[in-house]
Amino acid sequence: MGTIAIGEKRMSHPLEITNLVKRFGGLTATDDISFHVEQGQSVGLIGPNGAGKTTIFSLIMGELRQNSGTIRLYGEDIGGLSTPARIKRGVSRTYQVPRPFGEMSVVENIRVGLMPDSIWKMITQGPDREREIELALSVGFSENDLNRRPDELSMGDLRKLEMARTMATDPSVMLLDEVFAGLTKGEIAQIGELIQQMRRDGMTFLIVSHDLKALEPLIDSAIAINYGSKIAEGDYADVISDPDVRSSYLGVA
Amino acid sequence: MTQIIIQGLLLSGLYALIAMGFTLIFSIGRILNLAYGTYLLIGGYVYFYFSQMLGMPKLVGVLLAVIVGAAMGLAKYRMIVKPLKGDHVTIPIATLILAVVLQSGVILVFGDSSKILLPIVPGVERVAGATIPFSNLLAAVASWAILISLYFFINKTHTGRAMQAVSMDAKGAAVSGIDSDRINMITWGISGGLGALAGVFFASYTQLTPSMWVAPLIISVAIVIVGGIGSIVGTLIVAHIIGFMEIIVTALIAPELRGVFTMVLIIGVLVIRPQGLFGREEI
Amino acid sequence: MGLRWYHFALWAGFIILMYAMPDLVSKGTLRTFIFANFLAIFAISWDVLSGRTGYISFGHPFLIGIGAYTTAILTKRFDVAIEISIPIAVVVTMIGSTLFILPALRIRGSYFALVTLAFMELIYQLVQVIRPDLTGGTRGMSGIETLTRGAVNGYYMSLSLMLAVAISMWLLMRTRVGTALSAIGMNEDSVQGSGLSTTRLKLFAFLTGAFVAGLGGAFYVHYLGSIAPRALFDINFVFTIIVAALIGGSSTIIGPMVGAFFLTYLLEYLRPFLPGAERYFIYGGIALIIYIYQPKGIYAVVMQAWERLRSGKSA
Repeated sequence: MGTIAIGEKRMSHPLEITNLVKRFGGLTATDDISFHVEQGQSVGLIGPNGAGKTTIFSLIMGELRQNSGTIRLYGEDIGGLSTPARIKRGVSRTYQVPRPFGEMSVVENIRVGLMPDSIWKMITQGPDREREIELALSVGFSENDLNRRPDELSMGDLRKLEMARTMATDPSVMLLDEVFAGLTKGEIAQIGELIQQMRRDGMTFLIVSHDLKALEPLIDSAIAINYGSKIAEGDYADVISDPDVRSSYLGVA
Repeated sequence: MTQIIIQGLLLSGLYALIAMGFTLIFSIGRILNLAYGTYLLIGGYVYFYFSQMLGMPKLVGVLLAVIVGAAMGLAKYRMIVKPLKGDHVTIPIATLILAVVLQSGVILVFGDSSKILLPIVPGVERVAGATIPFSNLLAAVASWAILISLYFFINKTHTGRAMQAVSMDAKGAAVSGIDSDRINMITWGISGGLGALAGVFFASYTQLTPSMWVAPLIISVAIVIVGGIGSIVGTLIVAHIIGFMEIIVTALIAPELRGVFTMVLIIGVLVIRPQGLFGREEI
Repeated sequence: MGLRWYHFALWAGFIILMYAMPDLVSKGTLRTFIFANFLAIFAISWDVLSGRTGYISFGHPFLIGIGAYTTAILTKRFDVAIEISIPIAVVVTMIGSTLFILPALRIRGSYFALVTLAFMELIYQLVQVIRPDLTGGTRGMSGIETLTRGAVNGYYMSLSLMLAVAISMWLLMRTRVGTALSAIGMNEDSVQGSGLSTTRLKLFAFLTGAFVAGLGGAFYVHYLGSIAPRALFDINFVFTIIVAALIGGSSTIIGPMVGAFFLTYLLEYLRPFLPGAERYFIYGGIALIIYIYQPKGIYAVVMQAWERLRSGKSA
């Protein structure tokens, strides 16, 4: 269904998930979820707390292993690969709670993201300083921030750093987990502009956010999940007005 | 055969007592207190000093040992564990340094040579060819009594249940109004007191030397790792597995190899089943 | 690698001073220096394996012992030439270190430290029982071929080895691999999330640390001419190595060297007042105070003071 056969070649979606199931003991955190993201598209993943959004990210990245179902990246089944192997194939994510290297400066943090997965190359080739600085500046750091350490950075700066380190792995599909949480209005606008820029450059996104106002302009379509199941999918306006979505997610309103 | 069973039971009881104080601390916050063995060391020497050098009543000696051990536990929590915020890299190192400091402190005061501790209760009983010193019998009985009361303390009293809560989920416990600092203090105090008491029995089982902290530490580690975190029953079972294996290996194979089984058990369990044989799974 | 002129100047000054040492101090002091050199090698080796990655090894003598025993057995029992036995010993040590990688894949922190401690106790007990005709059992071995005669030669040999190890590890750790290993110690999941195989990096750290440990252990046994299991597989020896690495400053190469010399000197200085093992009371006490005050060691304290001085001047 997700692939269109053109002769022998198969045009594949950047990300395609089929019948994905993940259970923790008696709890089903991901319950038979299927969806795909098309090339250059940006999809919002929405749902209440504990709906299982982050679990899906962890499954895509291989930090958790699914009980059943498949995860395809450009047609290749990556469901059995290690996290670094998946990143090498072009998918990368940010974390809800930023996880910087605490005793490294901003550029050094980005340096780790840029490293090739080869010890020989790490030893024989020096760091690409220009690219490190370019990435830092592109997410909105100033020249003065480059040598700052994580304990001197604000939450907004930490999220920018998380973005930069994720971008450093050179992904073609980016998964963003709550990129706007704890940010000021100015920072939200800045990160939003960065995402728009990357969309124009052809990046494929899957974005989790509670801040629907910030999320809306950044996505082409939305998927709503609750209790680990997909409850609606399609145009953002349709999804958000779906009665199931309203009662589960916006029930309070 | 009877001899193996009797000796095995006695040794296992002692080992269970030794490991109990260590289990308590390791269960709360996974803190690896490598200076645990020094409670036994200091406990043994305090008892030796008061009851043998000063000639005080033995019960007073035991009591003083327990008090000093508990005080050490509190001091260790206040001065090392709290400042280092329970860190998993720095605490094992800091407590290892502390253990060596205390060991050399004992050498400074009492000298390097080993000392024979007079049995707490003199006399022996012969059963089916096996010689049972009353002192060892007392150690086993005492350790059973302590284990049972500890089991009830943890499961039936308010403080005990608070300890369990902190050990499972420190943040959750804090939310439900448990003062985890106070619980930690109590736990470290009990752990130190138990360790020192075990030290009195352990020293009269073997002898009093400045390096006597290493063996009990390794036994405790093995019992906690293999038994599983936070499981008193697991501690008891594994103490018996290790105690009996040591007696069997000593009697039937070679005395030098008696510790090998313990090491293989630690390595094997940590590699294959890190949550222990009887412990709960940690996510 | 970002080498600056002062790096060369500092290393050159240090090297000249160290090579001039036999003319400056007595033979007794020189023997102390020899021990300090070997301790520095062991501490650097520990730091490469544990200091950066945070996978604390409490069983470092396990690796040193493999190197020392391999070459001792080969030369004494099988009459293998030292030039051949030492490389073999180093390779065997590196193979031995892969035993550490199994637990390191599944467990971290305290648990890993415990497994390595168990490895050391295990080899201590096995070495006494299995083939005592080869290992010398509980007593160990003596009459092992020595490489040098006299304190001065021993000093030059240990110094050259220590400098070779220190400079090559210093250069290696200045490359991106040093950064990656430090990153593991700070947040292993994020290293994975940056697309790097942490298994491979950890294996690299263990093999490199074992290379240095095996080399140091092998040369040490050919300096001493004897080996005794109780002195080698001893928690006090673990303590000395770790304290040297940490007091000087973990995750640096200078730190373990500073620590090794500081501690050896402290012990020597205390000898007239406290001749026996009770010296460790003061030694450990100082170590504990420094460690609780600044877990990054003397190096960090000095660097902070230097920064404060500089910013004070410029302000």
